[in-house]
Amino acid sequence: MTVIKYIRRVSADLATHIYDVPPRMLASLILILMAATPFIGILELRRLDILTHINLVAILAVSWDLLVGRTGQISLGHALFYGIGAYTTAILYQYFAWPVWITVPISAIAGFCIAILIGIPCLRFKGPYLALITMAFPLAIVGFLYYYRDIFGGETGIPRPLPGLPRIFDKLLPSQRIIANYYFSLALLTISSVIIYKIATSKTGIVFVSILDDELGSKACGINTSKYKLLSFAISGLFGSLAGAVMAHTIQTNANPRYFFEKTALIPTEYSIVPIIAAILGGLGTIYGPIIGVYIYYLLNNYIFEYLIPVDKPIKIAIFVSIIIILIIKWPRGIARTIVEKLEDLEEPREVEEILKERMRKNKPEV
Amino acid sequence: MLEVIIIEGLIIGLILALVALGFTLVYGISGIINLAHGAYFVIGAYIYEIIRQYLSNIIPLEYYYLTPISSILITCAITSFIGSLFYRITCHHILGDEVAILIVSICSCIVFQQLIYISLGKLNAFSFRIEPIFPGKIKLINIELFAGQTIAALVSFAAFAVLSILILKTKTGKAMRALSQDVEAAMLMGISVERLYTITAAISSGLASLGGIFYTASITFGVGSYMWLTALALSFTVVILGGLGSIKGSLLGGLILGLTQIATMKIIPGSGVLQDSIPFIVIIVILLVRPKGLFGKRVEIE
Amino acid sequence: MHLLEVQNLTKRFGGLVAVNSVSFHVDEGEVVGIIGPNGAGKTTLFNLITGYLKPDSGRVLLRGEDITGLPPYKIANKGLVRTFQIVRPFKHLPTIANVLVALQSYRGKRRIEWIKTPERKAMEMLEDVGLSDMAMEPAENLSHGDLKRLEIARAMALEPEIILLDEPFGGLNPIETEYMVKSLQRIHLDGHTMVIVEHKLHALMRLVKRVLVMHNGEIIAKGTPEEIAKNKKVIEVYLGKAI
Repeated sequence: MTVIKYIRRVSADLATHIYDVPPRMLASLILILMAATPFIGILELRRLDILTHINLVAILAVSWDLLVGRTGQISLGHALFYGIGAYTTAILYQYFAWPVWITVPISAIAGFCIAILIGIPCLRFKGPYLALITMAFPLAIVGFLYYYRDIFGGETGIPRPLPGLPRIFDKLLPSQRIIANYYFSLALLTISSVIIYKIATSKTGIVFVSILDDELGSKACGINTSKYKLLSFAISGLFGSLAGAVMAHTIQTNANPRYFFEKTALIPTEYSIVPIIAAILGGLGTIYGPIIGVYIYYLLNNYIFEYLIPVDKPIKIAIFVSIIIILIIKWPRGIARTIVEKLEDLEEPREVEEILKERMRKNKPEV
Repeated sequence: MLEVIIIEGLIIGLILALVALGFTLVYGISGIINLAHGAYFVIGAYIYEIIRQYLSNIIPLEYYYLTPISSILITCAITSFIGSLFYRITCHHILGDEVAILIVSICSCIVFQQLIYISLGKLNAFSFRIEPIFPGKIKLINIELFAGQTIAALVSFAAFAVLSILILKTKTGKAMRALSQDVEAAMLMGISVERLYTITAAISSGLASLGGIFYTASITFGVGSYMWLTALALSFTVVILGGLGSIKGSLLGGLILGLTQIATMKIIPGSGVLQDSIPFIVIIVILLVRPKGLFGKRVEIE
Repeated sequence: MHLLEVQNLTKRFGGLVAVNSVSFHVDEGEVVGIIGPNGAGKTTLFNLITGYLKPDSGRVLLRGEDITGLPPYKIANKGLVRTFQIVRPFKHLPTIANVLVALQSYRGKRRIEWIKTPERKAMEMLEDVGLSDMAMEPAENLSHGDLKRLEIARAMALEPEIILLDEPFGGLNPIETEYMVKSLQRIHLDGHTMVIVEHKLHALMRLVKRVLVMHNGEIIAKGTPEEIAKNKKVIEVYLGKAI
């Protein structure tokens, strides 16, 4: 009996036992963030805005990681969901004057549905084709957004930020509103990551990982992998759109380092790339990893390069991105995850790829 | 009208096929989705124009045709070097990790974009005019064509032919084909994977720059540091149409895309705004119809 | 009615006919072996039956129901389960989670008696193959022999009507082989039907009453193990003509 009790207690963490460290990591991360809040008052308000942005992008990153790190569907177009969320809530507010606390959930649901719609044709793609297709999606949609500029507002998009949420935030002074937005984003991040964590460690999450590891084997176990892939897509889209919608209501502008000109700024490709960088830096497939990764990315970007090394923007971007490249090469399994694994004394198992790499380095034919 | 669409479409298509060739090659042989392909495209265009301007001041007028030719050769050499260097520094170490390579290569595009901005200034980074390779028009069955485009298309086709011969006949080419089929077996045969991946990187970046030169010097007559995205978009479409890893597929995919672009432009008025999105829309339409493209993964030729 | 019936199954790859109009049947409670030199088409046959490949012509019937060309997961859910020649565990998951995946299938969820939890059922499956002390071990740490046993546990978790085993003894040392023979014998005694493709004839012959011999995509001989061992054509195919 005790064996079964033990298993049932642990089974909630089954998928995490190897693939992710037990929730201790996620919980401590969130506690750290919350513990930092008393110090928020010290920061400039503009800095708070950045932190709010970080929290919301972290939701994007975690939702992306569920799809890619856990279910193995490589998506290079996650910014699409940002766009869906932001535009849905903006249009619903602008043209129908629906209250914010309705438009945002609807945006999230829109993300859920559109993810399924897009996911269905994507089911037959694997690996590189899937990566290419998903990269194409947001870029294709941008063309349409630009074309129908009457509805969507053309280059500048629909003016942001939209009314705050909850509505009550509008009654606050701008300075108070920024603080309120920060706490709101933190709360949203907490709730979202906990929900995604619960999903990832449930039996469904286990099936996700099985699809990542060996889709054919999963099918042999009777799993309808298409259904689960769509589910993963949908959940990823739901939270991605949620983040996008909230961003539309809380962030001053779209503006963060704009690498691109003209049309693509409508759905910044940045939001496709940053989740990936964040997940890799933090640890692909973990829940806490992408959150840490987003923090690393933006803190590196904003604080270090604006305070410590004041340089021109293009130089800053060049150096910053080069540093990212170096970090990824040095720690492909993720900085946070490597540290965590060392602490946990988990030995890194040698995967075939590593053996292959080593062989390539030695360049000796081995039988 | 139809002949115009077909001929112009084929010409543009050949150039597009060339743009995608390096990309599909690198995937077919080393399994890497090299998003830095776009960066080499842009670098090629910029370096070409700079060298061309420099050389045109040196080379006497009687030999005017030497200017573009030597500029192209020098540019391709330089870009090949940059490409193989970048490969050795970065991708070589993370070969097993698809996602990491994707990000690292896209980051390189961003880095190069900034480097162009830094070295050439904001204006040039945004829009840098490139002289047409060969000015003027020629007449082909009483259809007027841009001379530059036509020559570019012919050279592209030649490049395909040369590459195919390389892959089929030379020892290096055979080694590459071996790698594309089974890396471990190739290693057992004594093939130096390191060396070959580097060579592949060099060839594909050289091809990327060639494609960049032709595309920017005969179609758009200008380049911007952000155009790596355009190059990638085109390459993706071609490759999805024709199958990733197949040289033949790249050719066919390019032709189809070229025809589609020309046809759309001529038939639907005012679609210029959608111009950049067309490749993406084509991709999505293809995905609904025939997802795997026309050919498969292996580096195949005839 | 036969439990499994294969009628004229054919599959061509370009010019090569991998499986050429193969027909056979399996009745409930039988253990049938399929042998043949490499390249005879045995694994292709399995792939055709279990839905991983679509046949060019022919039918597969499970208890009279036509399952030809259905997707693999549907076939598995109907009770036709297979194991793989090259083991493919879910390496990021612990051993028990590997079995739990099977229990998350449609069939897995329906079949669990309501007094048992999935975890308990999964543990039972692991106990049956002797892997219960590796339950929380990451699957990638298991030895080859353990992984073969895990394949069996995963297949049994689906409470199959019939199991197709593709080289279950591949790569096993004598001790592991013996253990596997005993496991499969026990499974047979429990009333399960099996079709086994195998090269290790001494192990196989202890399990099967009927053998089919394949060569170049065709069945060239059928019979009991003794009959097959004496069959001239079979000997020729395995050892060459000079005998």
